[in-house]
Amino acid sequence: MSLPPPPQLHHSPSTFTSPNANPSQAVLPPSVYALKPTAQLEALYTIIRDKDTHRGDFLFYSDRIIRLLVEEGLNHLPVVKKTVTTPTGSTYEGVGFKGKICGVSILRAGEAMEQGLREVCRSVRIGKILIQRDEETSLPRLFYSKFPSDIASRYVLLLDPMLATGGSAIKAVEVLLEEGVKEERILFVNLISSPLVSKPFAPVSHALKS
Amino acid sequence: MSMKETDDIRRADLNSGNASSSLRFPGRTGYLTQKKNIVLVSHGRPPWYGPDGERMHDAFVIGVAGGSASGKTHVARQIVKALGSIPAIAILSQDSFYKRHTEEELALAHASLFDFDHPDAIDMPMFATCLADLKACRQSNIPVYSFSEHQRLDETQYLYGPTVIIAEGIMALHDPHLRKLYDLKIFVQCDSDLMLARRIERDVKERGRHVSGILEQYLRYVKPAYDNFVQPTAAFADIIVPGTNNDVAIELISTHVRRQLQERSNAFRRKLAVPRLYSPGLSPLPGDEELRLEILPSTSQVQGILTILRSTDTVRQDLIFFFDRMATLLVENAMQFLPYRPHTITTPVGVQTIGQKLDTKYICGVCIQRSGGVLERGFKRVLNNVPMGSLLIQSYSKDAEPLLLQVKLPVHLRKRDTVEDTWVFLLDAQIGTGAAAFMALRVLLDHGVKQDHIIFITYLVARGGGIAVLRRAFPDVHIICAAVDNEMREGWLEGERGEGDPEGNGRRVWLMDPGMGQDANYEIYAHQQFNAGDRYYL
Repeated sequence: MSLPPPPQLHHSPSTFTSPNANPSQAVLPPSVYALKPTAQLEALYTIIRDKDTHRGDFLFYSDRIIRLLVEEGLNHLPVVKKTVTTPTGSTYEGVGFKGKICGVSILRAGEAMEQGLREVCRSVRIGKILIQRDEETSLPRLFYSKFPSDIASRYVLLLDPMLATGGSAIKAVEVLLEEGVKEERILFVNLISSPLVSKPFAPVSHALKS
Repeated sequence: MSMKETDDIRRADLNSGNASSSLRFPGRTGYLTQKKNIVLVSHGRPPWYGPDGERMHDAFVIGVAGGSASGKTHVARQIVKALGSIPAIAILSQDSFYKRHTEEELALAHASLFDFDHPDAIDMPMFATCLADLKACRQSNIPVYSFSEHQRLDETQYLYGPTVIIAEGIMALHDPHLRKLYDLKIFVQCDSDLMLARRIERDVKERGRHVSGILEQYLRYVKPAYDNFVQPTAAFADIIVPGTNNDVAIELISTHVRRQLQERSNAFRRKLAVPRLYSPGLSPLPGDEELRLEILPSTSQVQGILTILRSTDTVRQDLIFFFDRMATLLVENAMQFLPYRPHTITTPVGVQTIGQKLDTKYICGVCIQRSGGVLERGFKRVLNNVPMGSLLIQSYSKDAEPLLLQVKLPVHLRKRDTVEDTWVFLLDAQIGTGAAAFMALRVLLDHGVKQDHIIFITYLVARGGGIAVLRRAFPDVHIICAAVDNEMREGWLEGERGEGDPEGNGRRVWLMDPGMGQDANYEIYAHQQFNAGDRYYL
């Protein structure tokens, strides 16, 4: 498991000096959802942002956030009405999950989110994409990908902890679209994304931003 | 100073739980006063509080005084034996309360020149404080005195929950503050010659001492102390028991104590189970507002998980996985009740930023066994480094009253100086009749936990069950759940041969409807009231 790469100071410094001041839902593009900015969530982010946090703590607390993100992401999947019989013999009108899912992690950092995903979706299939910047063209280039064969019929949770310039994320979504995944079935899950980039990026995915 | 080893009596530490095992207190070799303090647990402790959450009565405290070797310990043990099946009895020896000695006193003590038979040798205020705490059903940490080192040790012995406490020692009736605490004062009257004879025999046999030395000590300290401080306190006693042939006296005393305890017991659970029958002031089905429950937002995932948990068709692996997943969500959500404060950090890119940090001194978790354990894995996914404790609460088969069988609490909760700053997550699968929840909360409050520092985490609450009474008794406790069921049905469980009911006489049960754990035919999941635990564990 790898730590996310340090962010490049690419955007206006104000983004980083008040990283926990979550913008309200109103200023986010419609397909971008941020977790509710509670004190307990902010405390988790404070731990993983702190340079003095030990590795074990970093892993433990980022897993906690990732679980919350995946739980929130799954709420965007459809459900159907379902009636069950409870052990007391009563019937209960509930809901059942509909549609198969799979995870796709963008190497390497995305792999850090796989454990959190597995704790919420037990036996989920996980595909991989390796995208790196081409030294000559400085454009993101696909080096490797491996997906479940029926990925076209699944909802895809695309995993990458940081969304900065969005270059590799856009490339990853393009690859998924080529595989036949429907655009509205892609949920891009990340821990921190920059507001500047999620705007042009928003039309192609559900980005979960914090 | 008496140094008898307790021997044949069955002893069980209330904290180590197993009522039938005869445990000796672990610890060092040599004489420790711990060995004289006896905690005897025969079976669980019934409710000691009323529906308003307040303690209904104190523990019953008996003071036993008398000369050295007069037979005090014997009398105390005979009372314990005669009382038989009462919940928990503690015998507290005065020897535990010898003061911490200075260097000079220590030198005197090792030269056998220190007067241990004088009232000043005993830390009476501390004795009274410990006894008052136990009488008021609070926890106490009894000092431990080592006779081989002639010194009070740093360790203490945690004690909680005895229904009857016997304080025993030559000066037990000497201090007026102590005397005020006793419900029954006993003086063991024994002939001086007989006491001396017993003393010589014991000291020669057990400690290999010479008769001349024993006599010198007797004349110098023991006899004057008896005449000046011990014998006069016989005037304060309610009853004077002979030191020999005292079977009739013991019988009288234990009959009296048993009757006192009988009057104090009460059928409690029925009052809780259908609160509207007993508490006309409450609306039949109180709303969420009134109950001030924090209910998980009903997202599609939460609804889906609940459906899986409630269904009889769910296979075992799925059940466990989704119980754990729901528990994680509940605990993450419960974190909102903890206090946070601003905290400045430097990020790996060297920028300073202000975030939030938990503003708590101590946090711990307490499981109500067994079904609270269902939440434990989820709890540890969120809080992996906090001490965990447990409370074993079972319902007594005949009248379904809850019984406290075991208390194992983290050290932060045991110590009075840390408990005030401790936040407690209390875990149980369901709040149905609320009887177990009620008892667990009372245990925590007895220990001095602040009500608003308790966060109760549970999957399911029955709106028509005990929650209304629980809420009224403990308004400031935070309660978080995944769903609220409307119904609470009363049922009768037939011919169930199981724990606590070997004859299979049947018993009353309360079911939550639609619920998530009990079987309508009472076949599969019917061993327990809180049956989410059965579905998870069995």
